[in-house]
Amino acid sequence: MQIKHILPVLAAAGLVFAGYTVVNSNKPTPIAKAVTEPSTAPFKAFIAGAGIIEAQSQNIAIGTPLPGIVKAVAVKVGDPIQANSPLFYLDDRDTRANLAIKRADLAKAVADVSVAKATYTDAKALSDLAEAVTDRRAISAEELIKRRNAMLISKAKLESAAALVQQAEANVAEIETTLSRLVIRAPVAGVALQVNIRPGEFAQAGFLSTPLLVLGNLEQLHVRVDIDENDAWRFDKSSKAVAFLRGNRQFKVDLVLAYVEPYVVPKKSLTGDSNERVDTRVLQALYRFDREQMPIYVGQQMDVFIETTVTPNAPPEAAPPVAAQGATP
Amino acid sequence: MNHIALKMLMGDTGKYIGIVMGLTFASLIMTQQPAIFVGLMSRSYSFISDVGLPDIWVMDAKVQFVDDIKPLQETELYRVRGISGVAWAMPMYKGLLKARLTDGTFQTCNVIGLDDATLIGGPPQMLEGTLEDLRRSDSVIVDIDGATDKLGKPSLLPGGKPTPLKLGDSLELNDRRAIVVGIAKVTRTFQSQPVVYTTYSRAKNYAPRERKLLSFVLVKAKPGQNPAELTRRIREATGLAAYTQAEFMELTYQYFMHNTGIPINFGISVLLGFIVGAAIAGQTFYNFTLENLRQFGVLKAMGTSNWVLLRMILLQAVLVGSIGYGLGVGLTALFGHAMRHTILAFKFPWQLLVFSGAGVSIICVFAALISIIKVIRLEPAIVFKG
Repeated sequence: MQIKHILPVLAAAGLVFAGYTVVNSNKPTPIAKAVTEPSTAPFKAFIAGAGIIEAQSQNIAIGTPLPGIVKAVAVKVGDPIQANSPLFYLDDRDTRANLAIKRADLAKAVADVSVAKATYTDAKALSDLAEAVTDRRAISAEELIKRRNAMLISKAKLESAAALVQQAEANVAEIETTLSRLVIRAPVAGVALQVNIRPGEFAQAGFLSTPLLVLGNLEQLHVRVDIDENDAWRFDKSSKAVAFLRGNRQFKVDLVLAYVEPYVVPKKSLTGDSNERVDTRVLQALYRFDREQMPIYVGQQMDVFIETTVTPNAPPEAAPPVAAQGATP
Repeated sequence: MNHIALKMLMGDTGKYIGIVMGLTFASLIMTQQPAIFVGLMSRSYSFISDVGLPDIWVMDAKVQFVDDIKPLQETELYRVRGISGVAWAMPMYKGLLKARLTDGTFQTCNVIGLDDATLIGGPPQMLEGTLEDLRRSDSVIVDIDGATDKLGKPSLLPGGKPTPLKLGDSLELNDRRAIVVGIAKVTRTFQSQPVVYTTYSRAKNYAPRERKLLSFVLVKAKPGQNPAELTRRIREATGLAAYTQAEFMELTYQYFMHNTGIPINFGISVLLGFIVGAAIAGQTFYNFTLENLRQFGVLKAMGTSNWVLLRMILLQAVLVGSIGYGLGVGLTALFGHAMRHTILAFKFPWQLLVFSGAGVSIICVFAALISIIKVIRLEPAIVFKG
């Protein structure tokens, strides 16, 4: 075969291969599917916000009135707790020793009263004897006064001893109070959500970034919804709201407004930085829901949608127009 | 007559091959250079086309292209979510972070943070592991090119190939531990940095401390929504920029067109290819006609009309043109095929076939035209001269 015949064949083959390359290399890249379908608002116009689950009683970070080493922890995480039942015990050995001293003081004071009483009885008997003498010549006036005064002095001493008993009793009561403050008790009934203290650790009094123990009432859960201050004007207390569980949008629950915190707080942007700066401020609305409808834990996040009648693009006449723009610096 | 034309063309094999080669190279340069150009430009927005799920990208109003990250406040996500017509809106982190390799060298990586729950915006194709593995602690997914090359464990021998990253290997991103749980295939990007996928909250931990970390909000429109209408609504309500996927690709593409020398460089190559091809093919074809002028003269003296001669020359031109074109695009495709696993950018859309076809046609028409003029002006008597 001659070259002049090969060339057209090669050309035809080249064209076919080019066509094949064009078709083959321009297939669209496959699209990565979402691992779980994201939740979608069931309303036409709505406000979206992130919600965090908390106990109805809010989450109570238990503190201790006195600092000290923890002797024993009476509850485990998840335990149901009765109101006023002990949560943990602080070391009380020195307080108990002190109590023994104060009790001994009390016993001594009580004994002192008996002594004073006997002295008084003695002085009173002598005084009464002298007073009973009808012939004033039989007893000198000096002797009479002496006996009478001895009686009065011993009476005063008796009263003093009785007061000392009271003081000793008060001392004992004070130590007993201290002793009872070394036992930290549940202020309300609830569930131990977190236990961050173990026997042998030092429990500090005052505000702690990691609370010693977190207590909450789980009978009714609330979801705390952050609404951006730029959207707060669109929020309507009477409108419907739904929440979706993150990770599975099949779990959807209708929300009922519990209350709105009227103070707009700075939103925490959790960058872990030592000096967190405030992004924006958020209005916090708390909603109730039926917790039987979904498996949920306190502290979990939810996607919340709140229906609204006003869209951001069409502010009502009454609303100030500045809120609609929300230009961020 | 056509047979005579072909005989004339292929009679001298050397000349015939010369013409065909000239056209082949013209066609090769006019296809291969634009293919590299198109490949390179499509890499500029390949990240956007890889993230196929969302319809709309929301970002800071001053963003110029996909790698120009101007982070947003986290609450903007919820403001975008609250706009009617939005089916869902997801956060995405995109940033360049330094990874420390086992031998202590640093490698800049493109770190992509996906929404923790849905992992929307993930890599298009998983080679090992699954996207869900990102739920594990400290987990990241690395692209195959980065895993085998730039992020690979350096060879013990100097100059040796690095050992590729495997599942379970660990990296250090900004002094934090990251465990490879998946290897993905992604379209190469312009800078060709390794791509590391992780969840949004973990990406925030890896990223240096900044007040704002949200790079993009990915939005899906509700079914039946007009995207242009929705982007306008998002812009008006939030003051941010919102682009449909095509618009964002166009924005990125235009940035590279206007701010890099790439289009000018490749334009010059293509033009030179055209000029050189036209010159070689035109000149050879003209020479060929000149040498065959005697034969044309004989035909003319025998009474062949100008019209028939014209058709003969056109046939010759079309034939060499087609052969040159076919060989040229074939060689281009072969080149692309050979380079498909290398770092070279190469993309061969059908428009390029049309483009180079038109170029080769223009060269052939030009070459044929000057030959035709010569033949038409030819006096049959020339045959009997000299």
